[in-house]
Amino acid sequence: MGPLSRETWAQRLAAFRASPSAFMAGPEGEDLGRDLLSELRSDKLSEQTKVSLLALSLEYPAQLWPDATAAEAAATSLLDTLVLLPPRPSALRRPLLLAATTALVAGDALGPTSEASRRLLPLLLGLASGRDLGRGFGPASEQRPLQATACECLRELESCKPGLLGGCLGLLRGLLGQEGPVQPLSLLLALALRNTLVIQARARARAGLQGLLMAGDTPSGGDPWNWALAEEGDARLQPQAPSWPAAEEECGLAVLEPTPEEARELRAAVAQLLDTSYLLTPVAQAQLLWLLGWALRGLRGQTPVLFKPQLVRLLGTAQLTLLHAVLALKAAFGEALFTAQDEALLLRRLTVAAQHPALPLPAHLFHLHCLLSFPENWPLGPTGEEAAPLLLGPRLCRGLLPSLLHDPMALLARLHLLCLLCAEDEEKEEKGQDWSPRHYLEELLAGLRQRAALDGGPRASATLCFQASYLVVQCLATQPTVLTPLTHGLARLYRARPVLAPHFVDLLDRVGPELGEPLRVALRQEVVSRPGRDEALRWHLQILAEVADGNAQSATLGFLGAAAAHCTDWGLQQALLRVCRALLRAGVGGGLADLLQALARQWEDPDGRDHARLYYILLAHLAGPKLGVALGPSPAAPALASSLVAENQGFAAVLMVQEAPAPIRLSVGPHRAAGPGPVLQLHVEVLEPAYSLELRFRVEGQVYAPLGAVHVPCLCPGRPCRPLLLPLQPRRPAPTRLDVRALYTTPTGLTCHAHLPPLPVNFADLFLPFPQAPEGDKLGFFEELWDSCLPKGAESRLWCPLGPQGLEALVSRHLEPFVVVAQPPTSYHIAIRLPPDSRLLLRLEAAQEDGVPVALRTDDWAVLPLAGDYLRGLSAAV
Amino acid sequence: MIYACVPLVEQTLSPHPPLISISGISQGFELLFGVQDFLSLSQKNDTELNTKLNQLPDLLLQACPFGTLLDANLQNSLDSINFASVTHSQKQPAWKVGTYKGKPQVSISITEKVKSMQYDKQDIADTWQVVGTVTCKCDLEGIMPNVTISLSLPTNGSPLQDILVHPCVTSLDSAILTSSSIDAMDDSAFSGPYKFPLTPPLESFNLCYYTSQVPVPPILGFYQMKEEEIQVKITVNLKLHESVKNNFEFCEAHIPFYNRGPITHVEYKVSFGQLEVFREKSSLVWIIGQKFPKSMEINLSGTVTFGAKSHEKQSFDEICIGGTAYLKLHFRILDYTLTGCYADQHSVQVFASGKPKISTHRKLISSDYYIWNSKAPAPVTYGSLLLSESLCLLSESGKVRNKITSRPMRPSGNSR
Repeated sequence: MGPLSRETWAQRLAAFRASPSAFMAGPEGEDLGRDLLSELRSDKLSEQTKVSLLALSLEYPAQLWPDATAAEAAATSLLDTLVLLPPRPSALRRPLLLAATTALVAGDALGPTSEASRRLLPLLLGLASGRDLGRGFGPASEQRPLQATACECLRELESCKPGLLGGCLGLLRGLLGQEGPVQPLSLLLALALRNTLVIQARARARAGLQGLLMAGDTPSGGDPWNWALAEEGDARLQPQAPSWPAAEEECGLAVLEPTPEEARELRAAVAQLLDTSYLLTPVAQAQLLWLLGWALRGLRGQTPVLFKPQLVRLLGTAQLTLLHAVLALKAAFGEALFTAQDEALLLRRLTVAAQHPALPLPAHLFHLHCLLSFPENWPLGPTGEEAAPLLLGPRLCRGLLPSLLHDPMALLARLHLLCLLCAEDEEKEEKGQDWSPRHYLEELLAGLRQRAALDGGPRASATLCFQASYLVVQCLATQPTVLTPLTHGLARLYRARPVLAPHFVDLLDRVGPELGEPLRVALRQEVVSRPGRDEALRWHLQILAEVADGNAQSATLGFLGAAAAHCTDWGLQQALLRVCRALLRAGVGGGLADLLQALARQWEDPDGRDHARLYYILLAHLAGPKLGVALGPSPAAPALASSLVAENQGFAAVLMVQEAPAPIRLSVGPHRAAGPGPVLQLHVEVLEPAYSLELRFRVEGQVYAPLGAVHVPCLCPGRPCRPLLLPLQPRRPAPTRLDVRALYTTPTGLTCHAHLPPLPVNFADLFLPFPQAPEGDKLGFFEELWDSCLPKGAESRLWCPLGPQGLEALVSRHLEPFVVVAQPPTSYHIAIRLPPDSRLLLRLEAAQEDGVPVALRTDDWAVLPLAGDYLRGLSAAV
Repeated sequence: MIYACVPLVEQTLSPHPPLISISGISQGFELLFGVQDFLSLSQKNDTELNTKLNQLPDLLLQACPFGTLLDANLQNSLDSINFASVTHSQKQPAWKVGTYKGKPQVSISITEKVKSMQYDKQDIADTWQVVGTVTCKCDLEGIMPNVTISLSLPTNGSPLQDILVHPCVTSLDSAILTSSSIDAMDDSAFSGPYKFPLTPPLESFNLCYYTSQVPVPPILGFYQMKEEEIQVKITVNLKLHESVKNNFEFCEAHIPFYNRGPITHVEYKVSFGQLEVFREKSSLVWIIGQKFPKSMEINLSGTVTFGAKSHEKQSFDEICIGGTAYLKLHFRILDYTLTGCYADQHSVQVFASGKPKISTHRKLISSDYYIWNSKAPAPVTYGSLLLSESLCLLSESGKVRNKITSRPMRPSGNSR
């Protein structure tokens, strides 16, 4: 493809960005990467366009250069382009460096044998050191930004090959001390230092840490990069995005025991990094602290006091990421860095930040979360459990309590805290103190319900009310003092606004029995105590279908009986029937039968009438457990929204055949060479009981006559079953596969259908012996057969390799029934009948140590290749 | 427009690791805040917004190459693209792009916002709070000019609390760090001067935020509203505290009527200022003007009649139902802070070549300044309930007291 204009490229890039995978699969996909590389050197395109091409390669390296070879070639081309740039300022140098690095890393081409890697690394290190690399690398004004970019690229390489820059620690320290750009060098050094420490701890090797840290700016002895160390670190040593690990062993640096000199040098390096950390942007400072904190944790000879001078400065800021980094240090060092007073101060700052009017809501939420997961010096509860920190007393919490005026997100987050306080306060309750979190919680929930109860109020306030109720139940499930008023309050809310019924059903489905049980009772009472005639009838029926059980039967039935007259449309009738169904399932008897009979008479709609009658018949004729099965949800069918379908699911499940994964295992047993035709012996095993099993077989390729089904009345796991015999009627003597389907009934009464893995029928499974030859003249009989094969048939000679056991063992194992004349151990004449009417004759004579020459004849030339394969496979099968 | 940031988490996600243990969470927050700031900063029209949106991909490439965030301040990243030709020298902070050349000057402005919830009820305490923001712009030559800015209080000033500073502040007095609204106030509270040694960035920045608990709200008032069929009777009384500077840039009381029809008729009497009627919006605006009268106290009484409610035009308010209603005060006083906090020219020390011109500004703005109808329930926060014996969120009682100064009062947050 020739050079493309800017507009063409813009279109192409837009098409690519719209759907990279579709574009790459299309006709232009193959050329995109190549075109992109060549266009970078074109004089026609502006630098801006080229930068956008490079940006694309940074975003989608894996699509453009999908394998290591392509990535290597791309990186080489990018480096060539870089070298060929004229020595004037250019916006391309930085993105070219980034793109070459990305190509190597993303294509997994980075390594000691990659030519591009061997070019890129010295280039990056040279740029990072601020060395003069010649006129190809731009004017002096560009050196500084290039130096920073080179550091970023090296950092990426180090994160992908941890330990790669283990040999450059001293060099980097030197640069940081001199004129280098502080932020990129600090982050690079911190990462390389962390990785080196972790790898050395893992390998329990101490490859002269001091030496690594002290080495001057010209690394001695060849390449400064350490592929060997990178190899050790390559086994995914640690997440490169820092996080504090949950498991203790994740951060086990304690095994590393640096000498006092090494420890001193390490301290000096860390202090150097920390001293200049205020020159970094807040986000970079945070990264540095996370890296160093978790690198030094538990390392002998390293006191976390080094971090102390930074803390006051960090704690004072409004910067979320810095406060977070302090928390990471807190989690790493605990009491070694933070005394109890420090811990209290940190908590106060968090509390302030969680409610400071000058900070935005997302920051409040994050700080609230930090409070709930605060890494305490001496946590009381099990690790990982959310709890209000011990030192976060009621006084500190006052400003963090929820109120109706808060934004919903803030309200829920603060409510969570309030719940935890209530959980803690359980013992102190009922002492008449003026500050009672439980009392406040009750009032807040009441306020939320009041808002949700407003007629015509927005849906959001109802949602918030139920979210809050759910949260309270999650946190305080064991506290009846909270749950009782909550239950009553919710029941009152339902009375005020029955239109919230779907919210109630959802809540009941989600909460445990602690609230679920009493709330069901309260809602049922709420519904049945009201005459059912108003607009809310459909909501009442929806609630009743959820809560109706064996209790308060007469009241429920009374309500339904009264309501039936008002159920004039199909929807209401179905809703009422759904309640009946729930009652049927709960085992409600007599009164329900009367009601159903009345419905079947009273209603005009035939569907409703039929359903009522059907339920009545089921109730009258089926015993309890069977009724449960009939009405129970089907295991296979997904829940459907349509009420009609949901209604019928239970019956459908019983009446229809269900598709199921096979609980049956079928295998072919040993070959039986007897009888008039070949018979397959099948072994059946089941994982769960199956009744009335029917196995159906279909022959692939129709080489046999259709096979009959096999029936087994009952199969149980662990109870052996007689082998099943499957007679085969070949139309041609050829191996094939049988497609198998099983139809059976489960213990729960469902009929299931399963597709089993296909069964192979081998060539040898078709072998049959000839009828007994005359006693005296076996050889004559064989010779007669032998001669009769030609001229119609075919003859062949082949070498049958023998295993260590020799010819005798091979024959007795595989061909015994078919031997006509035997002169052990060297000579056998074998005659095999192949249904429907073919024969295969073998002469095995003059066996040698490692094989036997076989002469074979058959009257059916199509058998020849099969026989050859069979004989050659015999020795392997011994 | 939705921007999302997905942090890289290289660990098992089941069970969920707590968010606090993942460094990428706060980094992601900062990036999104940064994008938000960049897009909203000095955004005047759609064209400008589109320009900025088009710059975003390049900026993100600059601000987080390989996906690691280097600077959340995207404006800085933009500048560093443009400043590429400037030779940086050693110890240049990463958050400072280039250096300033020109006349040295330092500008400091203190903006205080006062919010309040007033109920005029015996069992619910009124609350108010001051939130201050100190914004600086330091145009100084040199790579790392050192500046110390001090905020001072007059002898009767209210101590600053909950101070959050900009990361460029190099050290902090522990008294500043520990002064917090969580504690009960007493005479020993640190009352300044609040010194902030810093190395300023090039751009204008928020040196610090603070809160404060002033002893009285600047304007204390009550609002009584009674419904009578299709009309309501209202009485408003506002009193400016004598210690407050009586020289407003503007002062207005907005009286909205929610969940009602348009205003058809108003009869009223004001002791001061004028009343404007917004019929369709169903609200009144009492324009008080620049000064309260000598008595410092003003009144409004009247009767408002409403037409039929049309559902389409008026949005539903889920708080102001029935008698629950409020009036909201909007005012601004220039060259004044409620805490008394100020930064004078002598309090600024600059360690850089040349004597800079120092300018300081102050202003007080109202923000969420509500006076609730005392004749009906009103929403309250926890702080308001501390004095009352019965804890209820929507208080039913509303006994009016004649002497408004004897009402229970409490700056929010200060709780015992």
